[in-house]
Amino acid sequence: MFYRRTGIRHTRYEQERQLFPLHFDRLLILLVLFLLLAAPLVLDRFYLAGYLLPWLIWSSAALGLNLLMGGAGQIHLGYGAVMAIGAYGSVHLVRAGVPLEIAMIAGGLLSAAIGMLFGAAALRVKGIYLAMATLAMQYIVDFVISQTPAISGGTLATLQVPPVRFLGISLRGDTETYYFALGVCIVITLFMLNVGRTSFGRALAAVREKDYAAQILGVSTFKYKLLAFWVSSFIGGAVGSVLAVCYLRAISPDQFHIELSIQILAMVIVGGLGSVLGPFFGAALILFAPIVLNNLMGFAASSLGINIPIDLRAHLPLVAYGALVIGFLLYEPLGLAKIYGNIRNYLLVWPFRHAQR
Amino acid sequence: MDFLLIAELALSGVFVGLMYALVSLGIVLIYKTSGIVNLAQGGVAMTGGYVTWAIAAGLGAPMWIAILLALVVMFFAGMMVERLALRRMIGQPVIMTIMLTLGIEIMLRGLMPGVFGAAVKRLDIGIPQSPVFVGEMLINRATLIGGGISLALIVVSLLFFNSRYGVVMRAVADDQTASWSVGIRVERAIAVAWGLGAVAATAAGVLWGATQGVDWSLSLLLVKALAIAILGGLDSIPGVLVAGLIVGVAESLATGILDPLVGGGTRDIVASAIILLTLLLKPHGLFGREHIERV
Amino acid sequence: MAVNRRIFVSGTVATLAAPAILPRRAFAQDKVVRFTMAQDFTRIYTFVTSEYSQGQRDYFTLINERGGVAGYKILAEVSDHANDLPRAIEAYERGKREGAVLCDPLSTPVARALVPRALEDKINLITAFSGRSDAADGTVFPYVLPLSINYWTQAGLILDYFRQQEKGDLKGKKIVFVHIDTPFGKEPLPILQVLSQKLSFELLPFPYTPPGNDQSAIWPQVRRARPDYVIFWGAGVGQTVALTEAIRNGLPMNKVSSSVWLSESDMEVVGKDAAKGVMKVEPCASGRDPKPIKDILAEVVGKGKGAGPEGKVGTAYYNYGVQMAALMVEGVRKAAEKAPNGPVTGPWLNEGLTAIANFTADGLLPPTTITKEDHQGGGQGRISRWDGAKFVPATDWFAANQDIVWGEIRKYSEEFKKTGK
Repeated sequence: MFYRRTGIRHTRYEQERQLFPLHFDRLLILLVLFLLLAAPLVLDRFYLAGYLLPWLIWSSAALGLNLLMGGAGQIHLGYGAVMAIGAYGSVHLVRAGVPLEIAMIAGGLLSAAIGMLFGAAALRVKGIYLAMATLAMQYIVDFVISQTPAISGGTLATLQVPPVRFLGISLRGDTETYYFALGVCIVITLFMLNVGRTSFGRALAAVREKDYAAQILGVSTFKYKLLAFWVSSFIGGAVGSVLAVCYLRAISPDQFHIELSIQILAMVIVGGLGSVLGPFFGAALILFAPIVLNNLMGFAASSLGINIPIDLRAHLPLVAYGALVIGFLLYEPLGLAKIYGNIRNYLLVWPFRHAQR
Repeated sequence: MDFLLIAELALSGVFVGLMYALVSLGIVLIYKTSGIVNLAQGGVAMTGGYVTWAIAAGLGAPMWIAILLALVVMFFAGMMVERLALRRMIGQPVIMTIMLTLGIEIMLRGLMPGVFGAAVKRLDIGIPQSPVFVGEMLINRATLIGGGISLALIVVSLLFFNSRYGVVMRAVADDQTASWSVGIRVERAIAVAWGLGAVAATAAGVLWGATQGVDWSLSLLLVKALAIAILGGLDSIPGVLVAGLIVGVAESLATGILDPLVGGGTRDIVASAIILLTLLLKPHGLFGREHIERV
Repeated sequence: MAVNRRIFVSGTVATLAAPAILPRRAFAQDKVVRFTMAQDFTRIYTFVTSEYSQGQRDYFTLINERGGVAGYKILAEVSDHANDLPRAIEAYERGKREGAVLCDPLSTPVARALVPRALEDKINLITAFSGRSDAADGTVFPYVLPLSINYWTQAGLILDYFRQQEKGDLKGKKIVFVHIDTPFGKEPLPILQVLSQKLSFELLPFPYTPPGNDQSAIWPQVRRARPDYVIFWGAGVGQTVALTEAIRNGLPMNKVSSSVWLSESDMEVVGKDAAKGVMKVEPCASGRDPKPIKDILAEVVGKGKGAGPEGKVGTAYYNYGVQMAALMVEGVRKAAEKAPNGPVTGPWLNEGLTAIANFTADGLLPPTTITKEDHQGGGQGRISRWDGAKFVPATDWFAANQDIVWGEIRKYSEEFKKTGK
């Protein structure tokens, strides 16, 4: 019924290779895109700055990490540090008077360069050992940033982001920052959608499945492991600068601690490892479940008169965060993207269920 | 440089390192049998501290009974975690188990303060505060006793692996399928390993809780414990002992010697640097067994 | 109960969808002043938040039970932001949409991210004992109000007390400064350095790694330095560990002082008798004697309307909460004096808050005067000592070294002005 496949006949190779062969998928994406573009005109600023903007930024970051974890099968527990490098690099450049367009890319390159060092560990160890190595690097980067006044910004350790312009548009209001983040997010998403069809993406997949086997097949694991870290760190750095410029507006070291790394990791896992759609779902759930739960508790306490001790009430969102991660791993290891896939498969043949498979 | 100061710092490092080693003992026990690194070990230690406090303060039990009860409770809690969560993860990629244990850590971090209250709790296990002097040198009595208890527990666990059930667990560690075929109940051995891991964590939680009070920050013991486990080799108990001493002394000396040079607290960075250096130079640690991978 | 995949997924969906279905609250009263009290109950500031928030809520209940202030009721929306910026910013934006005119995040990272937003939106951001110390400069930060003595002032107070103890002369003395190695811990260093030059004492800083649950290698060094005085500067677990280690290393407690972050529950953890004599800075009176606390006990807690356990009433952090709440309410009173019919907006409340003059809340606070220039409130505090059961004031309310503190404040606020606009 939905996602109709009837009448789709590929007569040329280009047609078969297109990203979304189904007409319905294309319409759906156009609809979502239209809604996102129209959001600032329709929605209140509260939803724009409180929900959509962080969602776009965190989704972009999760996409970058997903390339490394889902695409190349490498574990990274220090993605927050990578974003910190990009954020600090670009903010320092912007403060020095470099235009944001260049500063953002430079921040990304800086992240990529240092992120490659993380990758160097991946050449030597893998699995749980790689996780530990990246965790250690997270702490080391944190330490360097907060211990170097030249980086962290003096006694108060806060770097104010000066007013910036992107392609001549001042990024101050909510609408402008929203469109900027949306633009970056779309670019990253397009890259992720396409990367699976390139030789690069296929090489990553080979490395992910078994690195020795890939090496035997002639895929240089050395090259592709490092490249995977390079690309993913570049994205992380660029997103870090978007985060600093559009959302945080003043950066301090504690914003990029291990909690951020684990948060993004959780988004990737809950969303669905290796899927492009997953990080968007994952980011929404991990970011907003605590908020929604918090408001629900506030509502329960003030309107329904349910008296929950404040300690318990305050900690329940944290419990829920942990429970969500555990629950997804136990009950739906492929994440929200898989749930969407199931629904899509169901609707594909609805109401003729017997026709499935 | 003051020689006496260095000696004093090294000595305190030895005992503190032993207390950290107790946390990583649990990590090693679990990794040895099931091949999973338990990143929730810090959270479990915190839970142990909270449970002990709850029994002592809530039921008014004397401290030694509270500790014993807490150890028993936590043994079964550890087994439950394995049974309910980790066993389903058999055959999943390693990132899944990493994330699962992180999820457990997050949940415990919320659950314990949520239920028992976030304010710091006092856990008085009756160690006198006054210092001991050996000549000019001061020995911190609390870390001395804590380190001694940790050492004893680590030695006990070494002996345990020579007992009958210890041999069973060694067999499981060697080859799960082979142990299965000779009639060993692999699942139970792994569950017992989790239980013992939780017991070690609880002991550590009580010792640390007595020093700093019980609150969420007990879960931060994880990073040090990981450094020790990695340096000693993830599947070696003697490794824990040696690495604990090394990490403890290194951290203590770094605080005394490096801090004035850097002008900042280098203590945490020592653990990270040790993890990184071990992985780059000798990935399987000082005493760990090398795994040979086949395609 | 066996949880299967379907139950898990549908349960998650149901929980997330619930708020969309539930009816929104009706706002009956028209004369309401809304505050957003999104604070960190779960991550870093756990040691203070629950008591602080309890004090605030109890005081607001007291005021509302008495019929509000100048006809206005206070509606404080308490929630948890877990020191997580997306959650904090969401709470801030939500508050703003619902008409909140004041936000008290009680978290330094959150306050830093909210400062530019609050300045733009003209919402009063209370940054008591957190946020930027230079926010005391009201000319640069019109809508950021610490309303309390900042860390520079606290360091100045402690040193002045040491000076009084030594009969006005600290020359040749050795003062050790043990601090958590974070921006917050390093903050008083510039003031201490200036003062060490001026009063020619020797300053020895010792940083420890955050959050400070292991300081075993620091205190032997402190002991060996044989200091005349020790200042320890941290928060939460770092404080109790510092004190425990100081005791274990045999340092005399009556030469040891902390910032405002020391409470009765910390002393309980350390051991009430062992810590006898330790000093702290008090921004307001502690204990149950001040009139507002007595009123709360009688009219709120006594009637079973208390926001938390009764045992916490009158503890140090509880009183900090009452202090801040009292200042906010006083701000509302002043604002209503100036413009009785509102409308209730950020600038309306700001006018009131910056008109607070010589306010003591019946003896709870030092005389506090907030002006458009000085958002700190005069910089008065006092030193008190732990006597084994409670904190006993060792001095009267006093202000000290404010010239040096304001030099530092202006230095940083100038910097902010240059890059911010």
